[in-house]
Amino acid sequence: MKGGAKVVVEKHRHEGIFVARGKEDALVTKNLVVGESVYGEKRISVDEEDGTKTEYRVWNPFRSKVAAGILGGLDNVHIKPGTKLLYLGAAAGTTVSHCSDVVGPTGCVYAVEFSHRPGRDLVNMAKKRTNVIPIIEDARHPMRYRMLVGMVDTIFADVAQPDQARIVALNAQYFLKTGGNFIISIKANCIDSTVPAEAVFAREVKKLQQEQFKPAEQLTLEPYERDHAIVTGSYRVGKKKSKD
Amino acid sequence: MSSLRNAVKRKTHKERSQPAARARLGLLEKKKDYVLRARDFHKKEDAIKVLKTKAAYRNPDEFYFGMEKQRTKDGVHQARGDESNKYTAEELRLMKTQDVKYVGLKASMEAKKAEKLRATLHLVGADGLAEEDESDDEMTRGGGAGDDDDAASAETKELDPRLKKRLEKKRRVAYQLLKERESRAAKLKMMTSEMAYQKEVQSARGHKRKIKREKDEEDALPGLAHLKKAPAQFKWKRKRLK
Repeated sequence: MKGGAKVVVEKHRHEGIFVARGKEDALVTKNLVVGESVYGEKRISVDEEDGTKTEYRVWNPFRSKVAAGILGGLDNVHIKPGTKLLYLGAAAGTTVSHCSDVVGPTGCVYAVEFSHRPGRDLVNMAKKRTNVIPIIEDARHPMRYRMLVGMVDTIFADVAQPDQARIVALNAQYFLKTGGNFIISIKANCIDSTVPAEAVFAREVKKLQQEQFKPAEQLTLEPYERDHAIVTGSYRVGKKKSKD
Repeated sequence: MSSLRNAVKRKTHKERSQPAARARLGLLEKKKDYVLRARDFHKKEDAIKVLKTKAAYRNPDEFYFGMEKQRTKDGVHQARGDESNKYTAEELRLMKTQDVKYVGLKASMEAKKAEKLRATLHLVGADGLAEEDESDDEMTRGGGAGDDDDAASAETKELDPRLKKRLEKKRRVAYQLLKERESRAAKLKMMTSEMAYQKEVQSARGHKRKIKREKDEEDALPGLAHLKKAPAQFKWKRKRLK
């Protein structure tokens, strides 16, 4: 086959996410900063009909739980163009960069990470992406960064801490709008390694329900991660409780 | 009656030893010593007799090409160098270490390549490409990944069916390659640990005792059942090290 490998990029069911079909068989997002790879991922450039070039970045589900969830078949990812997203546990910002691709210039990603070393990579990534606001702070204390973060549409949490549900609830109280959405990635080992994963997931979901979250779906990330689940849902919907 | 007589302690006869005057001749030979000596002598005598008859009846025209390479030294035939003792124990240990390191290197290379390939193959859509089960036991398939993916450009619309078919084939090949790489990496990793274990056991000092035999495990990779064995367990005798 002459003329190099051909790639076809199709739209995914979810808005702002694409699928590259060709020799590659990959989930991709439209690159916001053309010509730059964030963590050494592959880029695919495609010629449009009007002669312009669009660049896509490959989103590896083996490294990103959001991508794994999307490929696993989540009904609703709640991350789309224009979304304001609070991302807890951003690490080096690999997934954050893809989220920033998805939400686009009209959206915004507040990326919270506590450790300094991955935080440095995160800050460097955010320098090139104007819609990412890096916050190097403990997600357990949303008070400390309340001046930086506005109301958000969606919270994503991948903090892998035993008190994950509490952390998410605290942040949701401060920043998540009523009727907003949450996505939580649960690593069973990090919460309780002595009981089976399913029991841990069920327990976490129960904790979330007590905190005014309304889980809508739960999905294990099986081919991509072991003993991980992703839970999505909404916050403070339906009948309002009398207290609070 | 006889049993009673046996019970009575009788005089113990001492074996006669070499008189002091003849001590220079060594131990005094007894019948049983003589028997052993004679039997050994006759065995040797018989062997010599056999060789002598063989030499007498030999065929002077017998020839093998191997004979041309044979040499004698001072009339004694020099056997071909015995290969088994070519290396010293120290050298053998070093060689084994290098083997382990090399296989380990190859294992990590293979794992890295598989990971790189997996980064662009995400099992998108349920077209069952990844689930296709083809036997891929061969380890010898050339490792040419064939990276020709530099300029990846394409049109988004109206694909002609031939191109579509080609793309599908490429994708299938890529998945097959990934599967092979992954299984190869797993096998190599297993081999590394097995070799490292053997080296450890071999080079460990001190007195050891086997406390558990090696045992087959049930889920062995095809063709590698011998590697999947749970290794034998040893216990070393405790020894105070200054």
